[in-house]
Amino acid sequence: MSSTGVRRFLALCVEIALLAAPAFALPQACPPIPTGGAAEVQSRLSQLERAAQADMEGHRFAEAAGELREAACLAPQDPRILYSLGVAQAASGDFLSARKSFEAVRQREPGNPLPLAMLVRVGFSLGDIDGVKASLRALAAQFPHDGELHAMLAQFLVQNKLLDLALAESLRAQQADPHPSAQASIELAVLENTVGAYDDAIRNALWIGSQAGLPASLRASAAGVAGLSEESAGHPEAAIPRLQEAIQLDPSQENSYLALAFLYEKLQKFGDAVAVLEQARRRFPQSAALLLPLGSNLVRVERYPAAITALRQLLEQAPDDSDAHLRLADAYRKTGNHAGEVQILSDLERRRPDYPSIHVLVASAMLNQEPADYAKVLDELSLAEKSAPSDAQVFYLRAKVFLATGQNEQARLALTRSIELAPMDPSPYYRLGRLLLAMGQPKQAQEAFDRMHVIKSGPPQ
Amino acid sequence: MTRRELLLLSSAGAYLAPALWADEPQNVSYPLRGISHSITPPDLFFVRDHFPPPALSLESWQLTIDGHVQNPYRIGFSDLLELPTKRVEAVLECSGNAANGSAAANGIWEGVPVSFLLEQAGIGHDAAFLALEGYDSGRLLQRSPQLPYAQIVPLQKCLDSSSMVAFKLNDLFLPRRNGFPARALVPGWYAMNSVKWLRRITALGPDDRHSPFYESGMNLVYNRVTQTGGDRAVARLSTLQVKSVVAWPGDKASLPAGRHLVWGFAWTGSGAVNRVSVSVDGGATWNAARLETTPGPFNWVRWSYVWPAGPGEYVVMSRASDSQGNKQPLVRDKSRKDIYELNWCAPLSCTVR
Repeated sequence: MSSTGVRRFLALCVEIALLAAPAFALPQACPPIPTGGAAEVQSRLSQLERAAQADMEGHRFAEAAGELREAACLAPQDPRILYSLGVAQAASGDFLSARKSFEAVRQREPGNPLPLAMLVRVGFSLGDIDGVKASLRALAAQFPHDGELHAMLAQFLVQNKLLDLALAESLRAQQADPHPSAQASIELAVLENTVGAYDDAIRNALWIGSQAGLPASLRASAAGVAGLSEESAGHPEAAIPRLQEAIQLDPSQENSYLALAFLYEKLQKFGDAVAVLEQARRRFPQSAALLLPLGSNLVRVERYPAAITALRQLLEQAPDDSDAHLRLADAYRKTGNHAGEVQILSDLERRRPDYPSIHVLVASAMLNQEPADYAKVLDELSLAEKSAPSDAQVFYLRAKVFLATGQNEQARLALTRSIELAPMDPSPYYRLGRLLLAMGQPKQAQEAFDRMHVIKSGPPQ
Repeated sequence: MTRRELLLLSSAGAYLAPALWADEPQNVSYPLRGISHSITPPDLFFVRDHFPPPALSLESWQLTIDGHVQNPYRIGFSDLLELPTKRVEAVLECSGNAANGSAAANGIWEGVPVSFLLEQAGIGHDAAFLALEGYDSGRLLQRSPQLPYAQIVPLQKCLDSSSMVAFKLNDLFLPRRNGFPARALVPGWYAMNSVKWLRRITALGPDDRHSPFYESGMNLVYNRVTQTGGDRAVARLSTLQVKSVVAWPGDKASLPAGRHLVWGFAWTGSGAVNRVSVSVDGGATWNAARLETTPGPFNWVRWSYVWPAGPGEYVVMSRASDSQGNKQPLVRDKSRKDIYELNWCAPLSCTVR
């Protein structure tokens, strides 16, 4: 395939992708053919082609398709006109007619890959993946050595999220070209990593990384892909130097820092995660993406004031971020700032009343306050029960309120209900045992303690 | 595509499918109670290898279709990806899985129907079986030569539209240990037939002897052996026997008195599971379990039973039956002399206090 052809194909793909024109029904019958002989036919043809070109340039695709349809009636064997007709039909959203036109071109010019490539595009627009596959198979059979063609198709398929087929075409491009470009190799490595072919991805990425003459940014991407693949293949320790190398080669790539921090986090090296995120923060002071992992890891290394600063900053930029709310509440709880904890969870509750267990979280935080406002806690738990009537935690917290307010019988009922809903949770048995002892029922209390021991001493269930 | 997109794209895949790495044959399974719905996540799929897993590359993997066909051919992974595919939810069970064992898993598989591949080759009229060969090889028995793993499956079973060369499991490409990049999938049959790391499909005539199968000694294992009096019968294992397992509680569990949800899975290779019952008294009485998912021809069904358990000693069992009239046996058939198809109702002891 010539580079002009490739450029034209890509331009058309981009152009067509941007369109959302309604389907246009073409007249099926040909108009009367001019009777003045070949000269008059030629003149009419030229006129139609000029008009169609002007209409295409003006994005009047349906009109262009109409003119080219008439032109095709005048010169039915001319593949160039049929191809243009297919393009205009596709651009106007009439993909079924476009498919017929490209198939007609294919019959007339079997050695030309362009109509098949357009059939891939049209098949995609029609949602006909089997049709896309058939066109790709035909291209593979007819043009197995055209690496540029297969690379171009891979790119189109990646853009349209058909990653399996993109991988297939990327592999074909690689096989067709013994000296693929670094860009093509890295795209293949990324796809291989995505589908789980980690060994292949690492091999391709390392090959790119070893090419000292390549731009550092490209080698950094390769190191990043190799690191991610090593991690996915179960070699996290091998992934660390790769991701460090990616940062070293191109410190302007924020994702490399994030990936390395994530890896440290998985390995529970929270201090290292903080260090790499603080390094990134110095480089990208405005980045919101760094703040959540930074705040979370600062909490883990017990640097609470710094964590609170980072998470508050994130909430200023993204006030609906539920994870930021929860991490910040955690930081407040760990610093004994229960009012802050309640306030931030209540804020999340206002913004996301459907957030799972939010009422339980708020009620739990309220109970940590000194003195707790038990009436409000009960109100919160009523809301929790409405949204999740089988949540044992609702009844357990309610029991805690009743215990704190001396309503022993109410507490006993709530604990019993909590046990019914989650019989393998030992905590309510302990509370119940203590309560029954206080109520002067030692035998029943012993039973509750025994059941707690049964759960704690048995094999994991 | 920008490098940011490249990295994002790669990270998405990376974190979805963490893989284990092993160069020795693996024998791994995981407690079924770890499965939160009815589909087994890839990292909880059991693994039974005969030989070390081969190190395969997408660029070099090829599948050969030959034997009694008009046009033998070979395809690469690109070709496989661009062929029409089918999805099927199917359970795989190791034929030696214990009575309440966890060497079973249920996944959504995607691949190219074997029938499509054979159609392209033009299957010979005299073909009766398919030999499925993997890239993994070794010595199956002490004296057998180094040969690839191979199984022979009747052609008729492989022509079923659900039999496929699978390359995806639960919408992700196969993990290496589960046959990456492509494996056979013979739904409804014991898992040894679903050859991993598939490299060759050979159509055999009724009397052909496929050498990797016979010379390796594979013909000597995976057989049902029964002895009644002096009569000894040997038959190749094939269809999954109806079976249910209790995922929770486990054997020798100690539970507090209360209402407990006993749950597990049931499957069959014949029709679909139509009933699961639970006994807590060693099979003296049975209670109907609720089928929580829709039974199909090849998948497993998740079942549950609410057990109001008072203090005492119990023997918990489950029992399944299928739409073909098969019932899970209460005990092992005494005439069986092999170690396969262990589908009787396993008793689990349970103490409630």
